[in-house]
Amino acid sequence: MNEQILQIAEALLTATAEPLTQVKFNQSLERNDLRLADVMASLRERFVEQRRPVDIVPIAGGYQLVTREEFEPYLRRLARKAGSLALSRAALETLAVVAYRQPATKHDIDQVRGVNTGAVLRTLMEKSLVTIKGRDEGVGRPLLYGTTQEFLKSFGLNRLSDLPKLKEVDSIMGAEVTPVLTSDAAQ
Amino acid sequence: MAYQVHLDNFEGPLDLLLYFIQRDKIDIYDIPIAHITREYLEYLELMEALNLAVAGEFILLAATLMRIKARMLLPRPEPVDDELMADPRQELVHQLIEYRRFKAASISLGKLAARRSVLYPVGRDLSREANGTELGNYLQGVNLFQLMVVVREVLGQLPAQTVLELQTEPIQLDDSIRTIRRALASARQVVLQQIFSTASGVQEVVVLFLAVLELIRRGAATALQATSFGEIVLVAVPEN
Repeated sequence: MNEQILQIAEALLTATAEPLTQVKFNQSLERNDLRLADVMASLRERFVEQRRPVDIVPIAGGYQLVTREEFEPYLRRLARKAGSLALSRAALETLAVVAYRQPATKHDIDQVRGVNTGAVLRTLMEKSLVTIKGRDEGVGRPLLYGTTQEFLKSFGLNRLSDLPKLKEVDSIMGAEVTPVLTSDAAQ
Repeated sequence: MAYQVHLDNFEGPLDLLLYFIQRDKIDIYDIPIAHITREYLEYLELMEALNLAVAGEFILLAATLMRIKARMLLPRPEPVDDELMADPRQELVHQLIEYRRFKAASISLGKLAARRSVLYPVGRDLSREANGTELGNYLQGVNLFQLMVVVREVLGQLPAQTVLELQTEPIQLDDSIRTIRRALASARQVVLQQIFSTASGVQEVVVLFLAVLELIRRGAATALQATSFGEIVLVAVPEN
């Protein structure tokens, strides 16, 4: 791989946290005969060789330069960040239904969860994880909700089809859903 | 007696039911309804005793459980068709399984987010992220007075409210009767539709119709119809 191309690619990745897509890459280089995937693979190899503290991950249909996992504690202390994306269980459940069922109406979501999801849905929209995708053709033309690019980014997904398969996972359920003691009112 | 209050954070009635099913190792396809209903209601009582607001959804499911229980007690009709044979628990079981799938999915999603959150994108400003979008920080550095100023400004921009008072025109039955009588006096017979043609609203149509009925009841007029679905003609009955 051409040294100059690799350097340009690294510059593009460094300059912005927005995923670098093939389209943006072509635009920037004013040529379209380079496969971004190949460039990224070569650059990754170089990072490993040079023992750099960064890595390239595919995300939301593009590529992003991120710090390697092992540096997380240092960065967390630097940022004084609370940790991972703070979503309540209710929010995660709602997000799961939207993600797998999209486009979904509020009624669809309420139906699955057995509770009213209005407030949670609003929170997810405020966090830009969920957005309105249109209106259903059915009675009352209810709003249809779907996930956003931000959702893909926050969950480290390249595209929606990368979501873990939705199936009955009894083993997961048995082992990990130990009741949690919290002060939250049961929603 | 030692009484241990175990306050769990349940996301809803289905979550609570699923908890019982897991705890008691119940076969989800063969739920002992009487047992689970008792457990469920006890839990609701506990919530009430602890002064927690029991959401309407919890009460709705309690009602569903009791309805299923009642239907389970009734003798099953002879198997005539599939619909009659259906297990009263079927819908609830379906709902529980569906909910369980998504609950599992939400746990996987949580893991994905956790795995992703240890990777810090290069090019994003960490210092901004720290106090960034947390809801509690939106109003940082804003004092009460500044808030009040903004509220006053916003209120000032609202369009002035115009209050329109609509008065209902009282339509009197007697007036309508007089109107019809006048029409009958001049023509002796009137097509029914014609009577309503002058009406200015639903209310007037209704009152006119009542007036027609009243005239017929008093024997001052009769309604005639030559053919089925044909025109109805109101004919004046001569007095005496």
